[in-house]
Amino acid sequence: MVWAWLIPVLSFAAVPLIILFGKRLPAKGSPLAILAILAGFAIFWVVFAGFLSASPDTEGCEIGVGTEALTCNFKITWFEAGIPGADTSNHDRIEVAWGMTIDPLTIAMLGLATFVALMVQIYSLGYMRDHDGNFDPRLDWYYAFHALFIASMLTLVLADNFLLLYVAWELVGLCSYLLIGFWHERPEPREAAKKAFIVTRIGDVGLLVGILLLWSQVGSFSMTETFAAIENGVLSDGVITVSALLLFLGAMGKSAQFPFHVWLPDAMEGPTPVSALIHAATMVAAGVYLVARAFPLFSASDTAMLVVATIGLITALGAATIALVATDLKRILAYSTISHLGLMMLSLGAFGYTAAVFHLLAHGFAKALLFLGAGSVMHSTDELDVRQMGGLRRVMPVTAILFSIGALSLGGIPILAGFWSKDEILVAVNKELPVIFIVLTLVTALFSALYMARAMFVVFYGRFAEQFEHVHDAPKTMSITMGLLAVFAIVFGLLALDLPGPFKGIGYFIFYHEGHGLVVVAWVMGLSTLLAIAAFIFGYLAYARRSINLDGTRGTFARVLEVAENKYYVDEIYQWTVDRVVLSLSRFIAWVDRALVNDVGINGPGDITRVLGDRLKYHVTGYVYTYALAMALGLIGLAIFWWLVSR
Amino acid sequence: MVPLVAFQVLSAALFAIGLYGVMARRSAVLIVMSIELMLNAVNINLIAAASHLDGMGKWANFDGQIIAIFVITVAAAEVGLGMAIILRMYRNRSTVNVDEINLMKW
Amino acid sequence: MSWFLFIILAFFTLAGGLGVVVTRNVVHAALFLLVSLVAVAGLYLILFAEFLALVQVLIYGGAIIIVLLFAIMLTRTAEYPYISDNKQWPLAAVAAAAVGVVLGAAFLDNNIPETSPNSPAFADLANSLFTTWAIPFEVASLVLLVALIGAIIIARTGEDNR
Repeated sequence: MVWAWLIPVLSFAAVPLIILFGKRLPAKGSPLAILAILAGFAIFWVVFAGFLSASPDTEGCEIGVGTEALTCNFKITWFEAGIPGADTSNHDRIEVAWGMTIDPLTIAMLGLATFVALMVQIYSLGYMRDHDGNFDPRLDWYYAFHALFIASMLTLVLADNFLLLYVAWELVGLCSYLLIGFWHERPEPREAAKKAFIVTRIGDVGLLVGILLLWSQVGSFSMTETFAAIENGVLSDGVITVSALLLFLGAMGKSAQFPFHVWLPDAMEGPTPVSALIHAATMVAAGVYLVARAFPLFSASDTAMLVVATIGLITALGAATIALVATDLKRILAYSTISHLGLMMLSLGAFGYTAAVFHLLAHGFAKALLFLGAGSVMHSTDELDVRQMGGLRRVMPVTAILFSIGALSLGGIPILAGFWSKDEILVAVNKELPVIFIVLTLVTALFSALYMARAMFVVFYGRFAEQFEHVHDAPKTMSITMGLLAVFAIVFGLLALDLPGPFKGIGYFIFYHEGHGLVVVAWVMGLSTLLAIAAFIFGYLAYARRSINLDGTRGTFARVLEVAENKYYVDEIYQWTVDRVVLSLSRFIAWVDRALVNDVGINGPGDITRVLGDRLKYHVTGYVYTYALAMALGLIGLAIFWWLVSR
Repeated sequence: MVPLVAFQVLSAALFAIGLYGVMARRSAVLIVMSIELMLNAVNINLIAAASHLDGMGKWANFDGQIIAIFVITVAAAEVGLGMAIILRMYRNRSTVNVDEINLMKW
Repeated sequence: MSWFLFIILAFFTLAGGLGVVVTRNVVHAALFLLVSLVAVAGLYLILFAEFLALVQVLIYGGAIIIVLLFAIMLTRTAEYPYISDNKQWPLAAVAAAAVGVVLGAAFLDNNIPETSPNSPAFADLANSLFTTWAIPFEVASLVLLVALIGAIIIARTGEDNR
């Protein structure tokens, strides 16, 4: 288990090697990155096995403070500052560790991240080629960024203190910027990359302030010590609430929660495998992970929990409605991701810790599969507008089947992975929150099934679009990776059940405070199943069979649809705010800086000195005895001064 | 017995005379001589204090004498260098008068 | 007795000093300086600092005056016998007098408890110089060496000045 640090370090090590020697290696060094993450995936299983056999008596392990789950910590001191040997709690000394914490949450995230990254990197070998089969000219950089991306995410997941987490957090942001803007020859990826970087950065400021606030109160960046301080009542309620909300600000930026969701749909401009990675395993998962990791902090404040739940619900519902009317296949998936991230936040806000992490994993597999499927479609057809597509299952049957599995899974069709995790969320929301929440969550679930049905049936079923007569199906590297993800998208949900053997369900592995089995609330499960199936039947009739004609209804709901199609004008509001408020303020500040700070404050004394010098220099004689006389007069002046002072 | 203050006043007077020489004379050689006068004034002060303040404070009473030795050392070095500079000046400009050397300005 | 000696020596010291700064002839100035320096050596004897008196006569009275006279000889100009003061001399006199007054006032103002003059044995002085002050002593010798080399380099003639 101690060797878990190798998982990110191997990928980190691959980065400089690929950059330096990639051009001379076969396939531009991409096997290095794949081997690194493959080894990481193998080590993950070793760590997993070690963790399963560990007990609180194992060296480094204990029952975690706050979570009550088995937690193993390994650390070395990174740096120290302040008075040696002093107490850290009153800030006489800072100690920051290079440490990792391994608990069920870490294990789950490690498994998801390494597996999805491995699949995506293998898939990219097929995807990052042009139609003649030649590799992208910057394939080495692509894989170097990929390796750095996943290494940062794994560091983030393993970090046992907030400072290391923040470093990794920013590295993840940097890598997403680099990869979204990978095709920087075109303007749209450049703009999208900048947008992603800046929007998430706004949240990151909150995260940093929150971390520093916690440090100022606890005296340590260590998560264990922070949670212990909360447990022991060292922190006041106000501090807990404020720091939780500040951390949540960071999570909102990374996990694309309203109103910071605007970057994620634009991030579609990056290569599609990058989108799969961002949406499933790395970037957006980090926000949910942060809230889950800091759950002892969040759960100590009712206000923070309610804010998390509300933001999650708004995001989930809003994004789901946009996904219903979006026409770009990748954007449908992007808004679907935002919606599901909202559901995870909602679940966390409703104390559904297990459900949120479970859904993060289930959604991760399904969404990676969907994106890789969309990438396959795009790779073959160079088309993303769903209105131009149709009946593609005739020419790309493998992709069609695999994409459908992902869509059904995410839509919540029973026994597929998404069904179980969504049901867990619904149960948690039903138990903890007012009735309006469960109603709106069910609506979201219905929409979720609807837009998945729409994407699936419009693209792959129905009338065949003739212009795609000659497109080919996905090559092996792409179809095999999608197939592996599909297996997970199908069977992963069964982990929720009490299977034969020692495993009693995921609720006994990932839990907060105490484990619990699968909770079945009959009417919730029945209703959600009914809604999902109804949605898919409706989708089949409306989009594949075309037996329900939707053209007429459009006029009735024109106003509503227009608002949704324009993404609730959030981008426009931002644009207006930036144009009017931010720029005016900036102009004013720029004026203050130029006129007051620069011209008066800085150039002023300089100008005075220069002008005085210009005038006075002609009075300098250059005779050495004049200077001697000046020194003597100065001595007399000083003597008089001191005599006056000391009198 | 001559009190310490008599030596100190003497050294102040000699210092003032030397200072006047530095400020008023034109010849660089005379300025160097005046500097020697000032250094001697300081030495008188140091040695008088060393002799009169036996056991005062933590300093051994002859530390002043040792510092005077260093002052003399430095004075010797200074005269050597000063004379070399004056020779150089004379060779370049055929004068040692400091009021003909005023390039040290804008 | 010591008062008598002090007054005589102080007179020669100040008179020599004044001679240095007022005489018109540069060679006379050097000789006045010699008078002043030798009188200072006598003052050291009143203070029982025999070693310093010896050093004063040897280094100042011997070496430095000789160097100065050599410099005068090597830089001989026509105006050396009747050299004048510069234009700021009245102001310089006032300033110098003021500095003297400041210093003298500071000394008179100060009531340090004092003992009768005494001085260490040669052996003690040498002991202190080569133990406590060993490093400054070595540094001083290095300073002298550097000054010597510097003086040679500065004063060298132009032809071999590569």
